[in-house]
Amino acid sequence: MNKTEYLAKLTNELGQMPYGDVKDIIGSIEEHFEEGIVEGRSEEEIAASLGDPKELAAEFKDGAKFKQIMKKRKMSDNFKGPDGRGRIFVIIFNAFVGIECWFILLCAIIAAFMCLAGDAAFIGLIIAGLITGVLTEFIVPFIFLILTLICVAVFLVVLLILGIKYYAKGLKSYIRWNKHVWNYGLGED
Amino acid sequence: MKGVLPMNSQIKKGILDLCVLALLEKGDSYGYDLAGSLARKVEVADGTVYPILRKLASEGVVSTYLQESQNGPPRKYYHLTDAGRKKLNSDREEWIKFCGEVNGILKQETGGKADE
Repeated sequence: MNKTEYLAKLTNELGQMPYGDVKDIIGSIEEHFEEGIVEGRSEEEIAASLGDPKELAAEFKDGAKFKQIMKKRKMSDNFKGPDGRGRIFVIIFNAFVGIECWFILLCAIIAAFMCLAGDAAFIGLIIAGLITGVLTEFIVPFIFLILTLICVAVFLVVLLILGIKYYAKGLKSYIRWNKHVWNYGLGED
Repeated sequence: MKGVLPMNSQIKKGILDLCVLALLEKGDSYGYDLAGSLARKVEVADGTVYPILRKLASEGVVSTYLQESQNGPPRKYYHLTDAGRKKLNSDREEWIKFCGEVNGILKQETGGKADE
């Protein structure tokens, strides 16, 4: 493997690392090649002594993971007690916007539930009417009405399942976000 | 140099950071030189030093600067920061102490076997 091949393979293995990091890494390995060439070594020899580019890339990636952990730790190290502004923000935001929004969404879910219940009751009523013979006229239109109402019911059930699912999910991450702001303030994330 | 990082590479990896810091204690140096110094003394590939240097730089225990060289490309020099020196001293002490303890156990073990 010569220098170009080695660097190409290393770049390839570094994969989704940020462009700046890859450029930096390739720069230092390129420098290594140049130094070796000045010393009179062959490109192939230098490439072989550098080790498998795949393994080298893996070590760089490990280091990058470590960097992220350090960054996080640094953030919590720099953290000096809760930021009063963050807490005030959480209280005010919830009082005027947050809780209202979640309440309105909850109301929408409850309303959908009630629509579903009304829909089901209506279907039941018509069926009962048909069976007991109270409804003797317009039987075909009523059957079409039932079919339409069933479609509405199915739609409402799907809407409710999705609605509740995302409501729970959203509420959970909203609470997490609130906790974060409460504890660490609004600063950089 | 193939298969140069054997099974116990995990143990080696952790301690190589310390080795690189120790190499820099003698004075600032550049990648190629450090790679050679390390690979001459420990059985690792020349490339190994670069991810370590990068990690150490991100930790802030080493800093870097560029310097022109006479017959080659400009060299990226690595410098041990005060934080690095502190880390080196405490890690070195810990390592030496740990080695002493491990050796104590290992010697005891072989001693025990010899007695049987």
